[in-house]
Amino acid sequence: MKRVHKREKEQFKKLFKQENIDHFEDRFNILEVFLQTEHHVSVAELVRLLKEDGHQFTPDFVRDTLKLMCRFGFAQKRRFNNGQVCYEHRHLCQHHDHMICTKCKNIFEFENEELENLQVQIAGAYNFHMLRHKMEIYGICSKCLKDHVQLMSLVNAKQGERFEIKDFIGGATAHMRLLSMGLRIGDKIDVVTNLDSGQLVIAIDYNRYALGRGLAKKILVEPVVR
Amino acid sequence: MNQKRFSIALAGNPNSGKTTIFNNMTGTRQKVGNWPGVTVEKKEGNIKKFGYDLKIIDLPGTYSLTPFTIEEIIARDFVLEERPDVVIDIIDASNLERSLYLATQFREIDCKVLFALNMADVARSRGLKIDDKKLSELLDLPVVFTVGNKNQGIDTLLEKAIELAESSYEIPKKRRVKYSKDIENSISSLKSFLENWTEGSIPYNPRWTAIKLLEDDKIVKKRVLNEAGKNSREILQQAQIHRDFLMDRFDDDPEIVMTDERYGFIAGIIKEVLTTSAKQRIDISRNIDLVLTNRFVGFPIFLFFIWAMFQLTFSLGAYPMEWIDIGVNFVSKSLVHVLPNNLFKDFLLNGVIAGVGSVVIFLPNILILFFCISIFEDTGYMSRAAFLMDKIMHLIGLHGKSFIPMLMGFGCNVPAIMASRTLESEKDRTLTILITPFMSCSAKLPVYIVLAGAFFGARAGSVIFGIYMVGIILSIVTGRLFRSTLLRGADAPFVMELPPYRAPMIKSLLIHMWDRSKIFLKKMGGIILIGSVVVWILSAFPQNISYSLDYNSKISETKASYNAEIETAHESGKKLLAKQRDDAVSELIKAKKTEKAEKSFMGSIGKVLAPVFAPIGIDWRGSIALLTGFVAKEIVVSTMGVLYAADGTEDSAALKNALLSSGMTPLGALAMMVFVLLYMPCLATVAAIRRETGSFKWMIFSVVYSTSLAWIVAFCIYQGGTILAV
Repeated sequence: MKRVHKREKEQFKKLFKQENIDHFEDRFNILEVFLQTEHHVSVAELVRLLKEDGHQFTPDFVRDTLKLMCRFGFAQKRRFNNGQVCYEHRHLCQHHDHMICTKCKNIFEFENEELENLQVQIAGAYNFHMLRHKMEIYGICSKCLKDHVQLMSLVNAKQGERFEIKDFIGGATAHMRLLSMGLRIGDKIDVVTNLDSGQLVIAIDYNRYALGRGLAKKILVEPVVR
Repeated sequence: MNQKRFSIALAGNPNSGKTTIFNNMTGTRQKVGNWPGVTVEKKEGNIKKFGYDLKIIDLPGTYSLTPFTIEEIIARDFVLEERPDVVIDIIDASNLERSLYLATQFREIDCKVLFALNMADVARSRGLKIDDKKLSELLDLPVVFTVGNKNQGIDTLLEKAIELAESSYEIPKKRRVKYSKDIENSISSLKSFLENWTEGSIPYNPRWTAIKLLEDDKIVKKRVLNEAGKNSREILQQAQIHRDFLMDRFDDDPEIVMTDERYGFIAGIIKEVLTTSAKQRIDISRNIDLVLTNRFVGFPIFLFFIWAMFQLTFSLGAYPMEWIDIGVNFVSKSLVHVLPNNLFKDFLLNGVIAGVGSVVIFLPNILILFFCISIFEDTGYMSRAAFLMDKIMHLIGLHGKSFIPMLMGFGCNVPAIMASRTLESEKDRTLTILITPFMSCSAKLPVYIVLAGAFFGARAGSVIFGIYMVGIILSIVTGRLFRSTLLRGADAPFVMELPPYRAPMIKSLLIHMWDRSKIFLKKMGGIILIGSVVVWILSAFPQNISYSLDYNSKISETKASYNAEIETAHESGKKLLAKQRDDAVSELIKAKKTEKAEKSFMGSIGKVLAPVFAPIGIDWRGSIALLTGFVAKEIVVSTMGVLYAADGTEDSAALKNALLSSGMTPLGALAMMVFVLLYMPCLATVAAIRRETGSFKWMIFSVVYSTSLAWIVAFCIYQGGTILAV
């Protein structure tokens, strides 16, 4: 483990110097303390650990540094069920590989002996001396696939269909507007009319709304089986 | 007697029955004006009740107090700045959850709030039972059930409002929305920051200000920046730090998280106060919408309604118009005999009565048109019309809502331009105001009838229809042109509630109709009066014209010679001779009138302008007629009547004959009609444009643009036609 951290520190120096990032020494101290931990830490915890180590930093500075570290791939932000944001190491050279869900941003680790061997073989075949490798598979995880495969934009709805609102995409203003008028995620809506390239009329309980096409595009829905 | 005065503001969602309650409270004692600086209607009413003077203010209908639209900004500013003694939040009892969203926001501002659970009967019929005592207890405010359209509970409501106004008020600490821990932390830290750093220079409740800063409320931010002095930047920075933190924490904009939490709070209340019995009935409005907004039959039905409205306006309106015409004629005829012949009489008859009479005659049309529009609005059909027209209005770059002002433009541009105030975006409003004058108003129709009737005979109907179409097409072209140049606007997210269909109440229909007609009569009557006087002065002066012929002596000469002949003639010949005498005399009077018109100030102006109008085939008489049309388009015909020396009555056969013999060609007539269609709107409309756009710049622009467009199009028609004919 020590060796790995050494490499990371070197990379850190190189990258941060390259990018001309300020307070290099302070940030390097934060990195050292961060790498000593072996579990998920929140900003507050890290500030405390740093203090124990004799460094006094503001939470904002620590958060800023952690953000930079996330950007350069040394740390990774995690959000657990209690909603608290924690950071953990991202080791670039470990024996396991990753599958990354582009939808929920979750990372799944996997190990495969055959794959590792195959990579060595391939490199060997090309007479290539492999130092390290990174394997990331991007895609959609099984949970998201199950949840979101049927999501469609309201704009493609047909007259008489029934949907549940699942998500809003687009800006906060439009979202707020819909919320204040009583259109929320989880609401069941009926499509009363959908004019081709015109507006839509939808109904929720005893309320009816006319929606512009632009806005309807931003409402993601799932069909409700009656 | 020195009575106590209280101001009571009515707030609530659109379609919550707010206006009905307001009408019931104030009756006809209403004052309609504008909110300062904007063109949203402000309604006030002063009443005396239970020994108090009450000032009732009808706030615009809003869904929230987050400032997205002008209405929301007005409602919020009024409560914050004017500090009414009591705010009555009118809640649609059948739609409790959404209504409470606005209600919780009122609870967050420090003001005395009272709930009116309106449409209690509708809620009951839907099987909803609301525990008003519990609701009152949970939110710590009085709750009253009302049925607005049956005038139930209104007195109790006012009684409670007065009670609340009289009571000493304490801020209920525990009855507010409580947000989740992190947000509450941010709120309280920002709040103490505000309290320590601003030294009370922010006039609002610090907690509320903190919440709004977290929500990134642009208006509150601006006010903090202005009021908090040197520390304001720091406060905003602090707020931004908290926002960033919450953004990071919840992975969503804080305003959305807080809105969700408010709904969570509401859901808790709903759970305790609302019981729903199982009967889930069908929504009648939805079923009507299945037909009226249907993609196939919706549009034809809509066209039928519009056709019916115009049919009613013009056919039913024709009768009272006739009565008014007779009345005006009677008044002027009796004045002819009563008053001595002098300048004042001429002024009164030809200036004041003729001018004002020409406007008053359109009152029945306007009343019926507004009555129909009130029916559309009160039944809820208007928003469906906007929905159906949206696709077509997008051709111009406008929303369906702009269709309503444009439609009204066919009746009269003045109320049409006033109707544009319902549009939210200022750019949409300006654009609509600029293109509405191309909708050929009813006052222009007599001009078309005379000209087309004289020169196109049997094809007159098609020609007039064509003129209307030219107006519509040019409004589309203009709309597109301005949309892509002067008034480029982002397409705002469009969502509009379609209110439930309701049977309209005759009382509110009449109030709506009268409110609008009153504005038409009052303001426009004044302008037209002044305009008519100006036209009269220009045509009546200079007084001492040196005529080419001594008409007066010639007339008496002719009379004397005929009279002598009659004396000696046989009984049978007397009648014939008398007629010949009268004809000759009126012929002379006409000739005198023509010469007088030619030599008046008006005539001189017309002669000066003639070179401008010559390329479009209009002679000096036509130019004067067009010029007087600036006062009111209907004057064009009567001016033509005077100048072409025909009998003054409109669209008479005599004027047609006179026009035919005046040397005007069909092409010239066509050019003139197009010019009348497009050129600068009448004085009253110009005044309305000035008021509704709030700027002289747009007013001048509208006048210059429409007049130059009119000239260019008329030029193309006249010159193009001449070349083709050769």
